[in-house]
Amino acid sequence: MSRLNLLRKLPGYMNIWSILSLAIVILILIPNMTILFNFFTQKAENWNHIQEYILPDLLKNTGLLIVFTGILTIIIGTSLAWIVSAYEFPMKKFFKWGLILPLAIPPYIAGYTYNGILNYTGVIQTTLRNNWDIKVDQVYFNILNLPGAVFIFTLFLFPYVYTITRAFLANQSASLIENARLLGRSPVDIFFRVVLPISRGAIVGGVSLVLLEVLNDYGVVQYFGVPTFSTAIFQTWFGMNDLNSAIKLSATLMFIVFAILTLEKVLRGRKKYASTTAKARPLHPTRLIGWKAWGAFGYCLFIFLLGFLIPFVQLIDWMLLTFEKIASPEFTTLIWNSLLVSFVGALLIVLFAVIIANFSRMHQSALSKSAAKVTILGYSIPGAVIAVGISTVFIGIDSGLSRFYESTGLESRLFLSTSLVILISAYIIRFLAIGYNSIESGFDKIGNKYTEASRMLGMNMTRTFFKVDLKMIKAPLISGFLLAFIEIIKELPLTLILRPFNFGTLSTNAFKYASDEQIHEAALASIIIVVISAIAVFVFHQVLEKESN
Amino acid sequence: MRNKWFLMSFILILSMFVLAACGGDDQEEATESNEEETTQTEESNEETSEENASEETGGEVNLYTGRHYDTDQELYDKFEEETGIKVNVIEGKDDELIARLDREGEASEADLLITADAGRLHRAKSQELLQPIESDVLSENIPEKFRDEDNNWFGLTKRARVIAYHKERVNEEDIQTYMDLTKDEFQDKVLIRSSSNIYNQSLVASMIATEGEEAAKEWAQGIVDNMAREPQGGDRDQAKAVAAGEGDVAVMNTYYMGKMLNSEDEEEVKVAEQLGIMFPNQDTTGTHVNISGVGVTASSQNTENAKKFIEFLSNEEAQKQFAEANYEYPVNPNVEPSELLQSWGEFKEQDIRLNELGENNDRAIQIMNEVGWK
Repeated sequence: MSRLNLLRKLPGYMNIWSILSLAIVILILIPNMTILFNFFTQKAENWNHIQEYILPDLLKNTGLLIVFTGILTIIIGTSLAWIVSAYEFPMKKFFKWGLILPLAIPPYIAGYTYNGILNYTGVIQTTLRNNWDIKVDQVYFNILNLPGAVFIFTLFLFPYVYTITRAFLANQSASLIENARLLGRSPVDIFFRVVLPISRGAIVGGVSLVLLEVLNDYGVVQYFGVPTFSTAIFQTWFGMNDLNSAIKLSATLMFIVFAILTLEKVLRGRKKYASTTAKARPLHPTRLIGWKAWGAFGYCLFIFLLGFLIPFVQLIDWMLLTFEKIASPEFTTLIWNSLLVSFVGALLIVLFAVIIANFSRMHQSALSKSAAKVTILGYSIPGAVIAVGISTVFIGIDSGLSRFYESTGLESRLFLSTSLVILISAYIIRFLAIGYNSIESGFDKIGNKYTEASRMLGMNMTRTFFKVDLKMIKAPLISGFLLAFIEIIKELPLTLILRPFNFGTLSTNAFKYASDEQIHEAALASIIIVVISAIAVFVFHQVLEKESN
Repeated sequence: MRNKWFLMSFILILSMFVLAACGGDDQEEATESNEEETTQTEESNEETSEENASEETGGEVNLYTGRHYDTDQELYDKFEEETGIKVNVIEGKDDELIARLDREGEASEADLLITADAGRLHRAKSQELLQPIESDVLSENIPEKFRDEDNNWFGLTKRARVIAYHKERVNEEDIQTYMDLTKDEFQDKVLIRSSSNIYNQSLVASMIATEGEEAAKEWAQGIVDNMAREPQGGDRDQAKAVAAGEGDVAVMNTYYMGKMLNSEDEEEVKVAEQLGIMFPNQDTTGTHVNISGVGVTASSQNTENAKKFIEFLSNEEAQKQFAEANYEYPVNPNVEPSELLQSWGEFKEQDIRLNELGENNDRAIQIMNEVGWK
């Protein structure tokens, strides 16, 4: 009895979870803080010039990209999620996971590939020209512009909306939708009056990931000639050698990100959708017949072709073209390196995400709330900017540890900053949000009552976590791991800037060729990335399926 | 029990990061005290590198390079074979490598920086990231024009920024200078990539050097007025747009022409075959020539090895392979360029100090922004 009182008197945030969460928050904040600190202390020489000539364009382009990509991913992602979870039609089993596959193709590789298909020397125009002597107006085939960038982002990022919404619909919506059906509502009516309102939270969650990816992208917008914040940050920092203006731009970008995130919170509303059981009854799909079935099939097939099969086949074609020139035993090392960093990175991300998610769920304190918010920080900042922050910090640590290095006889003066530690830390900062989102939604779904029951029955928070909570969120854990894994294996800017000597991955290899406009030569590494990611997507889907059955 | 172990490992990992975080806070003090230490370590390092040199391994040299050609690795291997010095490589984007060097400062382990464009090399030099290297071999192999005046960097290959035109639609006589691109007859016919591209920045910077700021701005304005479309894609995309009829003339680097003519994709070859290339400003200031080059980092601990490496790359044998990997011109005057390049003939080069490209870079970017060059 007295022991219980003592425990009650202890502030709620004083336990192992809060300490660990705090540590993670510090890890993420410090590199970002070094950037922000400069924002207030340094004078930027070109800032006036940038404000006058560059900023208006950036705001316009970034705004257009966000709005159109947002709307289109919502339309495609939600409609596919609805069709796939509410109906039976030919090949539906395959489309369920086939429609996640576009995630396996990094958008910048997709951008290069689509331009390669559509441009003057691409397969479409050359076929027309060489067989029928048809010359087309380039305007209709030009993808290197803002609408083209929206096209690429939409096709290769919509799975975020699709996956999250589908998981929600399949598991959470059964009673509402079936009641609406019983009451005689038409399918269209159900979609707009029931599906959209109840899955608002899931849609907004998915689309905010999409928008953050768009803001973060450098490869696509740079190649497509659409000036955005990330291209401007690179140009002022590297081109004008004006880090401080670049930081001011990053800070402006961060402001936009926070605006989006606040909007997300507002749009999600205060409602909490905790189901009455951990395994809610799945939605029972209706069988479509006749033209309706083929219509659904055609729509799914169309998106699947555009978002995966067409670029994939083109990449294979290019790979065959250059295979003999490019393939070497070195590729085994590249594959191993890619797998290693992705595996370790994703594992740590899941560990950290679980700690923060569990802490923030059990304690509604200022610290726990900010911990949850901080995870998203890294996801929203361009990789190159994170790289600066983190390497500044690590070089600082290295110089602090130089005495220690000497005493142990290490020759290197930059032991940490030239090791994989810095790269993996950067991945964690960058992609923690991916793991966190998945795990948070897992916790959301089970709610707090099982945990509370277990605590009532006398288990402490840590034991409850291992005996009760962890078992109930196994599926979100695995899917968080897989999503982070896919992101890391596709990741380019951080890997490029922070990698150690003689260390290459598949994505740095693809970049090495693509950056010199040798897109054909980049195909082999790209294909391997796509295949590995596709396998991860498949496993990811299996986990979700098992979860809902 | 298992859970405890689990937690323990958690704490271990995290405490490492907490430790890391604390280290970051003390950064300033640490760097101060560190400065004294580094001078000491430098001395001791000299000793160790001498020891290393006497060993049969011959030591190492660490290279940051913005070049990404498979044949480069063959040259590094050959260098290792000849000297016993192992070449460790980090490939990256040129600008980011310079930024990385800057951040790493004195502690950097890089000995050499290879990057395209003299503007970049000058930037590295002005950020005090490079150090002077005195070498008779280099003075002999590399013409003065392509070396930094303080020997901070050395050109290894050169390329020209030329005009590619459609052989049927354009009469070569109509286009003799860069300025001709701004003539009315090329309204909506000029294809050129974005102003964020360093080759264009250096081209404008070179005009600032030869003809002054105003003329450069006038030219940039004229280009923007004559653009066939908003700048997009790389140099190859400009060539394809000419073949496709979107415009008639494109500004591109010579080596992209070489790459297209030798592409695995026969359609690219067809495109390149429709184009003629001309070296502008032959009767006036000469064609804009740029280099890719190398410098020894200020922080280098293997200076002797680094010097040997540059000397190796400047010798006749290596020059041929190094330049031909990317269809570039060797800087060593004793080495003949490839047959393809020879077929384009000799040409008059712009006669400016290449450092001026770097000095004028900021101004060039501003000018391009001011005239609305995307």
